[in-house]
Amino acid sequence: MARPDAPRLLLLLPSTTYRATAFVEAARQLDVALTVASELPSAFEREQPSGLLTLDFADPDRAAEQAGVFAREHPLAGVLGVDDDTAVVAAAVATRLGLRGNPVPAALAARDKQRQREQLAGASVPVPRFVLTPADADPESLSRQVEYPCVLKPLRLSASRGVIRADNPAGFVAAFRRLGAILAQPDVAACGEPARRLLVEQFIPGPEVALEGLLVGGRLRLLALFDKPDPLDGPFFEETIYVTPSRLAPAAQHAIAATAQAAATALGLVEGPVHAELRHNERGPWLIEMAARPIGGRCSAALRFESRDGGRGTGDVSLEELIVRHALAMDLPAFQREDRASGVMMIPVPGAGVLREVRGVEAARSVPLVEAVLITAHQGQRLVPLPEGARYPGFIFARGDGAREVEAALREAHRRLEFVME
Amino acid sequence: MGSPDIGITAEPIDNDRCKFIVSQPLHAGGVRRFGSAGEAAGSPLAAAIFAIPAAGVAEVIVSGNLVTVVKRGPTPWTAIGKLVGAAIRSSLATSAPAVAPREPAAATDDDSLYERVAQLFETQVNPMVARHGGAVELIDVQDGIVMLRMGGGCQGCGMADVTLRQGIETMLRQHAPDVKGLVDVTDHSAGSNPYFASAKK
Repeated sequence: MARPDAPRLLLLLPSTTYRATAFVEAARQLDVALTVASELPSAFEREQPSGLLTLDFADPDRAAEQAGVFAREHPLAGVLGVDDDTAVVAAAVATRLGLRGNPVPAALAARDKQRQREQLAGASVPVPRFVLTPADADPESLSRQVEYPCVLKPLRLSASRGVIRADNPAGFVAAFRRLGAILAQPDVAACGEPARRLLVEQFIPGPEVALEGLLVGGRLRLLALFDKPDPLDGPFFEETIYVTPSRLAPAAQHAIAATAQAAATALGLVEGPVHAELRHNERGPWLIEMAARPIGGRCSAALRFESRDGGRGTGDVSLEELIVRHALAMDLPAFQREDRASGVMMIPVPGAGVLREVRGVEAARSVPLVEAVLITAHQGQRLVPLPEGARYPGFIFARGDGAREVEAALREAHRRLEFVME
Repeated sequence: MGSPDIGITAEPIDNDRCKFIVSQPLHAGGVRRFGSAGEAAGSPLAAAIFAIPAAGVAEVIVSGNLVTVVKRGPTPWTAIGKLVGAAIRSSLATSAPAVAPREPAAATDDDSLYERVAQLFETQVNPMVARHGGAVELIDVQDGIVMLRMGGGCQGCGMADVTLRQGIETMLRQHAPDVKGLVDVTDHSAGSNPYFASAKK
């Protein structure tokens, strides 16, 4: 239990997050007082009112008001969201209580793909050309107006859900109808107006990277640049392997970091974690998306930082510990990402159906350099592939001396897995 | 070095603690906790883990097919994990029991604490987690460390650690301040009906 004078962090955890353990343990590691807020009540909330809270994540203003009431009795020193929606709530809470955080309009722009593209294009940050269209528009008519290849995207969904490439009018019409059906699904339709429109944007060729960074006073500190060695050319854009350090040329990496900094500035993001997806080709970097949150899923376990002060000597510092420290305006230790290459595979959904068994897990774990194979789907769980699906069946982690070897280890471990479905 | 058929999954909890899930049982006699290399004498598995050089192992807890290792050294789990795996495999390669049974002892402070914690679990903790279809089982109390296992909706739940730390641990410290720590020995990967299932982001 934290000491009585420990600063209190309000951690906003949606009930569907993968991130609970990593952030809760980081807070414990730092001996901070922790209040976890979620959109659904915890079983212990009535008995532990200082440690657990329910906030209306769907209404950031109301959530900020609720947090303000809570803070009268339990003063807050920091607030932190872990996904796109809670990043907006965190911004609203920070603004209301004068805590470190982003302005609400900046967090909203980062969450909304349309608003984000408009602001980035207005600031001359290279982004794909795009048009916004109602989801109930006539796709036949639109298919004669767009340029090909193009990519159809929902405004709010994450992790490539609903993202479909079209190469010709027939493909466009099919993709439009398929995305329309996804937007009509109850969990998506619940987000209101953003589910009634979609983006059609230029397809940008070239390798894609993911950038993990921390904004401090508006300046981007690059934490890691991940290559995505599987080509993301469509028709769907399932994320699989992330490997860092990047094998792109140093000049390309610098240009990517500069573009990410320009994007953060254009959006008005100033504090906290950012996760950005960029492409790079002969014309330079292209900002595909920037989010005001850290990397999702269990992928942050691929990142380790070496601390060289803070009284702890050389040792591991997690991404979450850095983020919690920053949110609470605590000193950031001098740190750098470990020297070794590291990678994670988000195991692709093997097909539609009910998962009965996963075979070959031990064989996958025995692959040299592989550190962990986590099957997060449970027996009996219905697996839904992209573009409709929203859950990975698991993660594979590897570390080694080189990025190439790490990538090969992840592929070999995945090859040894067999998903039995029915 | 041992049988290649033994599968071991490392699940780091934080910098200090890591859970190792082994594909075969290690110890059928409840939970055994070892707080030092001296206490591990006679239990080859725990002794081998304490002997890992430069790891700074402070505690080893064995229950069923789970081994929880607590360390104090700065060496990351990425470096230590495979050594722990090798220690587990080597201890299973011999015919001797990997973990010696606990010797019967006279009544201790742990017995009194066990009774109080069991009462708290029965009257308060379990009625609360039952709201989410969950259950919490008190496995043992050793040297003031409470070991529990989650079931039902809590097993594999994305918010299990929130329940553990913000709910159960806080309540334990309020009602039983002599509790020194709380260890979850649940195999969450085997949970088949979690109350909150995690999604992509």
